[in-house]
Amino acid sequence: MNRTEIKNCLLCNEPLHTQMDWKRLFIRSFPKTICQECEEKFEPYSHEQKDEVVSLYHYNKAMQDFLHRYKFMHDVLLAKVFSEKIHHHLKNRKELIVPIPIHPEKLKERTFSHVDELLKQAQIPFVHLLEKTTTETQGGKTREQRLKTPQLFRLKENVQIYGKEILLVDDIYTTGTTIQHAKKALIEGGAKSVKAFTLIKVGGFHN
Amino acid sequence: MRYKGIIVEPEMRDFFAGKICPPEHTPFSKEKIHQYIEKCFFKITPAISIEQSIFSKKKYICNRCLNDNQEEFVEFDCARCGKVCVYCRHCINMGRMTSCTELLLWNGPMPKFPKRHDFKWNGTFTKLQQKASNELLESMKERRNHLLHAVCGAGKTEILFPAVFHCLQKGLRICIASPRTDVVLELFPRFQQVFPNTIIHALYGDAPKQKGLAQLVIATTHQLYRFEKAFDVVIVDEADAFPYTFDLTLQKAVRKAKRQGAPVALVTATPSVALLSKAKNEGWGYSFISKRYHGYPLPVPRFESLWFYERQINKGRIPKKLAQWTKIRIERKEPFFIFFPTVQLMQQAGPLFQQIHPDILSVHAKDPDRKEKVMKLRNEEIPGLLTTTILERGVTIRNVQVAVVGAESKIFTSSALIQISGRVGRNANYPKGDIVFFHHGISAQMDAARNEILRLNWEGGPNEPHGN
Repeated sequence: MNRTEIKNCLLCNEPLHTQMDWKRLFIRSFPKTICQECEEKFEPYSHEQKDEVVSLYHYNKAMQDFLHRYKFMHDVLLAKVFSEKIHHHLKNRKELIVPIPIHPEKLKERTFSHVDELLKQAQIPFVHLLEKTTTETQGGKTREQRLKTPQLFRLKENVQIYGKEILLVDDIYTTGTTIQHAKKALIEGGAKSVKAFTLIKVGGFHN
Repeated sequence: MRYKGIIVEPEMRDFFAGKICPPEHTPFSKEKIHQYIEKCFFKITPAISIEQSIFSKKKYICNRCLNDNQEEFVEFDCARCGKVCVYCRHCINMGRMTSCTELLLWNGPMPKFPKRHDFKWNGTFTKLQQKASNELLESMKERRNHLLHAVCGAGKTEILFPAVFHCLQKGLRICIASPRTDVVLELFPRFQQVFPNTIIHALYGDAPKQKGLAQLVIATTHQLYRFEKAFDVVIVDEADAFPYTFDLTLQKAVRKAKRQGAPVALVTATPSVALLSKAKNEGWGYSFISKRYHGYPLPVPRFESLWFYERQINKGRIPKKLAQWTKIRIERKEPFFIFFPTVQLMQQAGPLFQQIHPDILSVHAKDPDRKEKVMKLRNEEIPGLLTTTILERGVTIRNVQVAVVGAESKIFTSSALIQISGRVGRNANYPKGDIVFFHHGISAQMDAARNEILRLNWEGGPNEPHGN
């Protein structure tokens, strides 16, 4: 996915007025992808979070629209929108970064893996350790149904994770079912610790 | 010899005739479509084609929306075909098109449209309307493009009826396209009333599924992306409304949706200079109506200063003059629109206005209850509406009074201001009304709008109702 220069906001298509300055010239940074106005509509998590699961943003209307366009309308380019923030958060983590996988059939349908793409754009190296066992998704299920789901993941063949510290990455944290299942599979496979990072978290208190 | 063909199902034919779409966007099963493809009932094209010559760079073109702006194409690693694919961001809202998507184009027999239609309209034309209507009909008969230039409230929709009726009787397929959903929603019931036995579909963003094969399609110009060589006549209403003037691909969409040689009629109140000269140079038919159907002159906007309105609203108070104006409207029980330059400013002002009257509502482009709110104003359930430029056209409300806040803002171009002024005094019983531009300094666009309205009134001749 390459596009040398982004001239208009990826979300509202208003022209971006990126000003060249010394910092931009000498320090390689992520180019601006969305305008100030669109950026202000997202609601970052500012207060302390449990160390177990760290998220960057609240799930508000703007985020809902973003996710819809990215994940369901398949606008892959939007993976760039949060690159800088994701990069900033993950660049110094020492754990092994493991994205939540999607089922191969689902992947064919969607044509891209949305979590992988977020990490790729943020220039964060990652490895796949898990495999999804079902094609069903958590979206559209009630809380009850989610909590009752049988194990969603299994460890890939021939991976050694004994004693490793792992950071799971997903796009959105709702009831935690996905993360819990993945964590269980990894711990059972011998991982020392499993933490999680998501772009968005539903609920929690707003400030 | 064994017969190997298949009998074409009318449902298939009616669905696909004139359409261009990927198999996933159809109600038919993969197997059935495959069967038809094998028998050559479809032409297949990739959704994105690549043009490349030896010396020039690769160039992508989207075959659905004809977009060729290279900045709107995105290359990515596609997991479906395992190669680098390209998709078009221009029409992504209608479902993403990638270079590994295939588009189906009907290659089978075309449906025949009925030639018997009812025409239930017993209104009368003014002389000017009659003349324009005849000229349009003449152009359609001669299959020549036509520009219908008529002031706001001239009764443009009625002028179309005879020409549309003529085409329907010839068994032609007609499309009335407008850049605005509001216009589609307003036109649809009127045409249904006038042509009760004709199958008419209204196509817009979230339109419900409609049955049958429509001979008359009323659609937003975006929906035209789904058609190719479908229509024998295309009428573009509010032809200059944003984004039609700017968006070249929308103009291409009209060209793509019509059959070769099919005439296009453009209807507008504010044609650009470029459009006027194009019509002249290419020998289009041209009609001009300078007077409203009821014969009264267009209301002329007055300018009122409203210094630092933005700062005042930010501080949580409505500028005095504006509050006064609103109160008078409520006292006199006159419905009103107040136009704002930005959604943000409007949303800040919303609660302040509700202190004057709790039922004052606001609408903007993405408001899901937009239709209902306008209906409420029409039914006199609420005193007035705050709005952004989305309601600048196509909305007719009896005795409406209009204020524009921040008329000097960039978004209010002269044609937008003329359109906004055109909301006032459309009803024969209430031909006059107040149109006021509240400003923080008069812009050239405001002057241009006012001068154009004065010019049109002057061209309309002496101001006697029902005079000509």
